[in-house]
Amino acid sequence: MRRNNLLRTIIIVLAIVWSLWQLYPTFIVGRQKKEAENYLVHIEQQTGLQRDEINEALNAGQLESRIRQRLHDKSAENVQAVMKEAASLIALHDKISKNDAKTIKRGLDLQGGTYLVYEVNLPKLMRDVAKNKDTRFEEIMKKLDEVAAAPNADYFAALQAEFSDADIRLNRYFGSRAQTDAQIIDELRKEADDAIDRNLEILRNRIDQFGVSEPSITKQGSRRVVVELAGITDKNRAKNIIGKTALLEFNLVKDPQIFQDVITKIDNLLKRDLAAKPDTGAAVDTSATDSTGASGKVSQDKAVNVSDLFAGSSIVPSDSAAGAADSVQVDKDIFSGNPFISLLRDVGRSEVAVPAKNVRAVERILNNPEVQKLIPPDAEFAWSNKPEKVADEQYHYLYLLKKEAELTGALLTDAQQQIASGAGMTRQGEWTVSMQMNDEGTKIFSRVTGANVNKRLGIVLDNKVVMAPNIKEKIPGGSASIEGNMNADEAKDLAIVLRAGSLQAPMQAIEERTVGPSLGQDSISKGTWSAVISLILVMLFMAIYYKLSGVLADAALVLNLVMLLACMAFLKATLTLPGIAGIILTIGMAVDANVLILERIREELRAGKTVRTSIEAGYGRAFWTIFDSNITTLLTALVLYQFGTGPIKGFAVTLMFGITVSMFTAIVMTRVVYDYVTRRYNLKTLSI
Amino acid sequence: MMQFFGETRIDFIRLRWKAITFSAVFILAGIVSMLIKGGPKYGVDFLGGTVIQVHFPQAPNIGDVRQALANAGYGDIEIKTFGAANEILLRAEKQEEGTAISDAVMNALRQAFPQNAPEERLVESVGPKIGRELRTAAIWATLISLALILIYVSFRFEFIFAAGAVIALFHDVMVTLSFFSLLDMEVNLTVVAAFLTIVGFSLNDTIVVMDRIRENRRIHRDATIEQLINLSVNQTLGRTVITSLTVFTVVLILLFFGGDVIYNFAFAMTVGVIAGVYSTVYIAAPVVVEWHKKAEIQKIRRGVKVA
Repeated sequence: MRRNNLLRTIIIVLAIVWSLWQLYPTFIVGRQKKEAENYLVHIEQQTGLQRDEINEALNAGQLESRIRQRLHDKSAENVQAVMKEAASLIALHDKISKNDAKTIKRGLDLQGGTYLVYEVNLPKLMRDVAKNKDTRFEEIMKKLDEVAAAPNADYFAALQAEFSDADIRLNRYFGSRAQTDAQIIDELRKEADDAIDRNLEILRNRIDQFGVSEPSITKQGSRRVVVELAGITDKNRAKNIIGKTALLEFNLVKDPQIFQDVITKIDNLLKRDLAAKPDTGAAVDTSATDSTGASGKVSQDKAVNVSDLFAGSSIVPSDSAAGAADSVQVDKDIFSGNPFISLLRDVGRSEVAVPAKNVRAVERILNNPEVQKLIPPDAEFAWSNKPEKVADEQYHYLYLLKKEAELTGALLTDAQQQIASGAGMTRQGEWTVSMQMNDEGTKIFSRVTGANVNKRLGIVLDNKVVMAPNIKEKIPGGSASIEGNMNADEAKDLAIVLRAGSLQAPMQAIEERTVGPSLGQDSISKGTWSAVISLILVMLFMAIYYKLSGVLADAALVLNLVMLLACMAFLKATLTLPGIAGIILTIGMAVDANVLILERIREELRAGKTVRTSIEAGYGRAFWTIFDSNITTLLTALVLYQFGTGPIKGFAVTLMFGITVSMFTAIVMTRVVYDYVTRRYNLKTLSI
Repeated sequence: MMQFFGETRIDFIRLRWKAITFSAVFILAGIVSMLIKGGPKYGVDFLGGTVIQVHFPQAPNIGDVRQALANAGYGDIEIKTFGAANEILLRAEKQEEGTAISDAVMNALRQAFPQNAPEERLVESVGPKIGRELRTAAIWATLISLALILIYVSFRFEFIFAAGAVIALFHDVMVTLSFFSLLDMEVNLTVVAAFLTIVGFSLNDTIVVMDRIRENRRIHRDATIEQLINLSVNQTLGRTVITSLTVFTVVLILLFFGGDVIYNFAFAMTVGVIAGVYSTVYIAAPVVVEWHKKAEIQKIRRGVKVA
């Protein structure tokens, strides 16, 4: 018995020492940060450097040279004093970053941050890789979208099923003619899997360059990427960088004459179509008088609703969903003469502009299969990426591009944001992004520009035309630049996504959880206070109700908390707000083991047994009860861990550790103390 | 020795039918309210949608906020204050996939209130697909943990004890769910976490009592099952009350001081802790009693036939 207790004592002492050692960095790092803050403020005052600049230099290991450079005109004595502080700060900074890695990690809900789940947009990917797309294809794909929306649906199995239901072999749209459906499905599946892995890499690249400290980017399942960004200030920008496909293409702009022809043809088609069904007259008339009366315009200028005009048209289905956006007023007379052209505006510069309010209507007309047939097979329409304000109205530009890109962003070696010198088309001080191509790209670019002098080359990002400059001469050097009203951030972000490359498959955010830094701080202080109050109340209660035995249980409780936190630091588990709730619950539940034991000892004492046998019986009888009840709680915590997302996992973790540790502290530790005391003092009564 | 209870001899089992009726009526009321409302009031976690908590330096005019959102095309967003008047909670229900709405809403507010710059305190945006997945996962998690408990307890005790325990746990979850439905409170992920914790905690109680029944059965071999249960519940009453008090204390502190983010969790825990203690005595034990009685009767019948 004696030797056994010695072993137990050693284990307990070791556990305590180990715990304190694990928690030491967490304790010390706060003070070190405060100390570093003093130096930082001082250096800020002395050098006039910004906080960000100092931190950046500190991380790059260039603080001393940066300060020297800044203070080159100051006296040597002054510089000396600042340099001394800088040296201390650098030493402290190293210590802090070393300790930081060993502190208990705080979850995004405590430190503020964003949790994003992205999913590869398989429907879009499939539409992108498909060839010979026709209306039948679109119909099947639409049906597939609904089927695949079900949770845990296997998209590819559904794809195969839908097409075989429609009696269409997959090789009509995917893969090559000789392949069977099964082969094509395998190939598509592999393509999607590869795409997500590549996406993951590209995202890491982008986020690294964006400059987020310790981002976490992980794959979840086979189609999802989870991005966790701690403490970022500009979430929108980050989201923009992550979610953007960033497919850069250079497409030649079709000859303006061809553009004109296509527009006229579409116009004629719509005119014929409307003439065939002239049953919308009444509706148009009423709405016309209503709105003209109010606006008091020139008499013929009868404004009507686009939806009404197209009500009888089979080309432009007037579905209710788009109805709201179509409350576009156009001139009725012009409309009946030129139903399509009336939606467009000529703003000079040989650009075709569409007022923002007409964009939806134009889009719907262009997407119509009948209209699509009028577009030359090697051409496609594309919108400008940003609206432009001309004389109080927002306009989008419409381009007709050559379908096949001359070259893509995959051939870029570098992209950098720059302030324009004012030499080119951009005004001085405007931001541009200059790009450098690799050898192959340079060759192609040189050939394309050489062969198409005086034509326009569209720079297209994610199917939107960023700009379409005129090619003045052959460009041999393989460099190009993107211009067009960007601010510094936009230019920087564009350069980042171009450098990192385009995503291999389009992705969309399907879940976002953001906690602002102030709320995180709030949660920490509220959580800490709740824990402290709980601890004090429970300890007081135990001490009053069970006297010295209660105090011993309290000691076990405190040790339980210390060891619980030590385990979390050691296993690099993340502390979340629900995690703090778990710790607080542990405070309430961990005393249960001691209560069970103490109640049992009381019973034995009441039955007239001696102190020593009562204690022995108390522990002996209570053990299995404690064991059984704790195991079942562990089981539920385990299920919770398996099922939960971030914060909930944090809860499950603290609950599991709390319960496991409580069994050790409540059963083993207190027992050793009782054994020691009863043997040493040969107690006749027990303070219980 | 300070004691709340000495050696008590309360006849708990006598009251079992009243207790069961009480529980049944309450749960029924909860179920009826859920049926009327079309299921529990799910939060965005399970339904899909977006919640944005916005903090303004000064309390804004709600009408202005509504106008700003309507101008941006979000006229159907639900707006309410949250605690203080400068703390606004925006909720957009069912949306398409994608989380762009929170950015658009915040941009609209920033533009509309340049002098009173709003701060994004919390965004929870869940696509309908994830919502459905989380809902399925939550139901599975609850069922799996109940199944695991059933297996473990029948392995350590006997099946009837396990059945009693699981029925009691199911009772606790249903009571808490009924409370949420009757009070029109939202069920979100943390509330489900609370359900599972309640399951774990309530089981503690049940196991302590059952453990005692097992022990007493060896000592008092000729006692009836009612006597055994009454004795065991009375013997463990001290422990039950003390532990429940400490746990109840901490969940109350969480409820009052834990902040808005975990309020629903703390509320579920508070209800669950009470239900857990109650169900051990009045739900789990009666199940065992009734089962035993039936078994006894069957034994006698069989005995009669044989004779």
